[in-house]
Amino acid sequence: MKILRFGAAGLAAALLLTACSSGDTAGGDSTGGSSGGSDGAEIRVWLVGTDTPDKARDYLKTTFEDENPGSTLTIEEQSWTGLVDKLTTALSSSDSPDVVEVGNTQAATFTSAGFFAPLDDVEADLGGDDLLPGFVKAGTWEGTFYAAPYYAGSRIVFYSQQLLGGTAVPATLDEYVSTAEQITTPERSGVWFPGQDWYNALPFVWENGGFIAEPEDDGTWKAGFSSEGGIAGLEQVQQLMTTASNAPKDGDESELQVPFCAGQTTFLSAPNWLRGSIQAAADAEIPGCADTYGSDLHAFPLPGKKAGTTAKVFAGGSNVAVATKSKNVDLAKKALTIMLSDEYQTILAENSMIPAKKSLASALPDDEFTQASAAAAANAELTPASPKWGDVEAQRVIQDALVQIAQGGDVPTIAKELDATIESILNG
Amino acid sequence: MSTSTLPAAPPGAPAPRATRAITPARLLPWLFLAPSLAVLAAITGYPLVRMLWLSVHEYERAQLLGVPARFVGLDNYTATLTDARFWTVTARSFAFMVVCVVLTITLGTLVALLLMKLGKAMRLVLSVGLLLAWAMPPLAAMLVWGWMFDSQYGVVNHLLTRLGSTSWMGHSWLIDPASFFAVATLVVVWGAIPFVAFTLYAGFTQVPGEVIEAAQLDGASARQRFFGVQVPYVRSIYVVLIVLSMIWDLKVFTQVFVLQGIGGIKSETSTLGVYIYEMGMAQGHYGAASAIAVIFTVLMLVISAYYVRATVKEEEL
Repeated sequence: MKILRFGAAGLAAALLLTACSSGDTAGGDSTGGSSGGSDGAEIRVWLVGTDTPDKARDYLKTTFEDENPGSTLTIEEQSWTGLVDKLTTALSSSDSPDVVEVGNTQAATFTSAGFFAPLDDVEADLGGDDLLPGFVKAGTWEGTFYAAPYYAGSRIVFYSQQLLGGTAVPATLDEYVSTAEQITTPERSGVWFPGQDWYNALPFVWENGGFIAEPEDDGTWKAGFSSEGGIAGLEQVQQLMTTASNAPKDGDESELQVPFCAGQTTFLSAPNWLRGSIQAAADAEIPGCADTYGSDLHAFPLPGKKAGTTAKVFAGGSNVAVATKSKNVDLAKKALTIMLSDEYQTILAENSMIPAKKSLASALPDDEFTQASAAAAANAELTPASPKWGDVEAQRVIQDALVQIAQGGDVPTIAKELDATIESILNG
Repeated sequence: MSTSTLPAAPPGAPAPRATRAITPARLLPWLFLAPSLAVLAAITGYPLVRMLWLSVHEYERAQLLGVPARFVGLDNYTATLTDARFWTVTARSFAFMVVCVVLTITLGTLVALLLMKLGKAMRLVLSVGLLLAWAMPPLAAMLVWGWMFDSQYGVVNHLLTRLGSTSWMGHSWLIDPASFFAVATLVVVWGAIPFVAFTLYAGFTQVPGEVIEAAQLDGASARQRFFGVQVPYVRSIYVVLIVLSMIWDLKVFTQVFVLQGIGGIKSETSTLGVYIYEMGMAQGHYGAASAIAVIFTVLMLVISAYYVRATVKEEEL
């Protein structure tokens, strides 16, 4: 008995200690840091998601290494999920990456807290006035330019002619909702609308006269989902989610080509560069459906309230910046300059991503997808320009509210609670 | 388990001769403990001190890059304790913990008893199965579980649809908080049973056979033998297992965090560990998050202190 007890107590002590010490040591890639001097330095570039085409990655690496003999450039691919958390950890550590891509709406979180090195001295080399103004604004904090535009894009509505058949393409937002409802069957959604897809919910709020949040005279923010227009928009979202979509009510907007290629939906509102994923070969590493639903793929910009207009859509895209803690800020800026060079941006444009420079728009392919995207982008809106907006995204408050709406919850109540939460974060 | 208690003589330790003259008998144990204490101080001590420091400062993202932090006294604590969300999350965590602990200990006991009864071959098979479940990293396990409960392609929905007449396809297991925690409980308990079962099995095998035989001869039923003989013999093991399970299930993080990424409503399913992460890592309020963590640590210390005292008392009898 004695021995048993003693053993148990010892075991308990040992496990307690390991339990405590195994706490979260999140993040931290163990890639060896750069070697200090600018000779033979290693520049680490963090790109997010698979959006940047391989051709551009190769161009960046080769050009940088040719121009800076002895130095190497490594591209490390990160995931959009949890990006703000991961960047916060990585950028404040001693093993910080040198150049990072960040979502345009997340940029203010970092520029306002000093995570990025100022780019004022190289702004002219990066493109100066030629850069997309909305993205320059997103990357500027208190008059200092910290994060350059990388690329932009907007959501367009894809459909496969063989599924739409003789049904007319909707001309107004209300028609879009009613058409989607009519063509919905238990096997096939009219429009694929997973509950967490807040990017696609915003146009309905904006088109009905609602807003996310606006600054008041006293400098505080007022959220607008529970405004008259906001509620009308969210009710349309609820109508679509409950009567025209079989997508998971708590699903997110990742891998959207999968339901489309499985023939589970007629309309799919997605970033314009998703076209590449849809039209990938069925046996590609990330399979698409080039031979089936991708063979007669078409797209149109989401229509607005009035016929002949396009809806205000969310301006998607990325910024790129140099980390304050980079050991080779000058070399990192050179790498950034390559990413903003005409050659590099042209590669992005050829892949249907709207380039960071206005002058390169002509390099965009002349197809209906890019034209639809350009038409949508002309009417694109941004999220509130608050450094705390990133916190709203990180806490997923809009997604939580939309999931409740997708389940048929009472829209005015949910919108009111959502506004209270957003205001408490932005004004907190 | 990372701290070995059989260290070689510490390299930088003072020569024993110098200390022997004073109180050798009292110093020697500390000398042996020194390496473990040093490791503990570095790994557990420093973060703890840092956490306490953070909890009384206003520490946001900007402070990570060298902006001096402002001392705010107990502001972070009062803000936490007056926040209704904190209490909701705490209550939710404790309810989740109680369900998990009861299930883990009950099922763990049953598996341990099964191990006692099985023949050699089947016992080996069961042990290997338990070991595999135990050895699987929680993150990897969660991805597999997540796929099984996937709304569209999950095997659970598929099987349920094939078994019954109603269609389960598209049913979301995570959207309703109760159902979310049912899945979370299943995964946590699944991962915790092997340790409990092995430990109890080890304990049960140490119960002298003659005592059980004597009880049997006196006419005790199987149930009476279990509760009257076997359980009292391994009582201290139960105490330790329950305390450990309580602590582990209170600070559960990976399972809930990953499930939230797959589906469900974040604000209705966060437990304390996830809440601290949201406050600190996701929103950048490191000071406030540390205050919550300190309160959380105190709560756990209270739980363990009660049982540690009970164990020590029993030991002295």
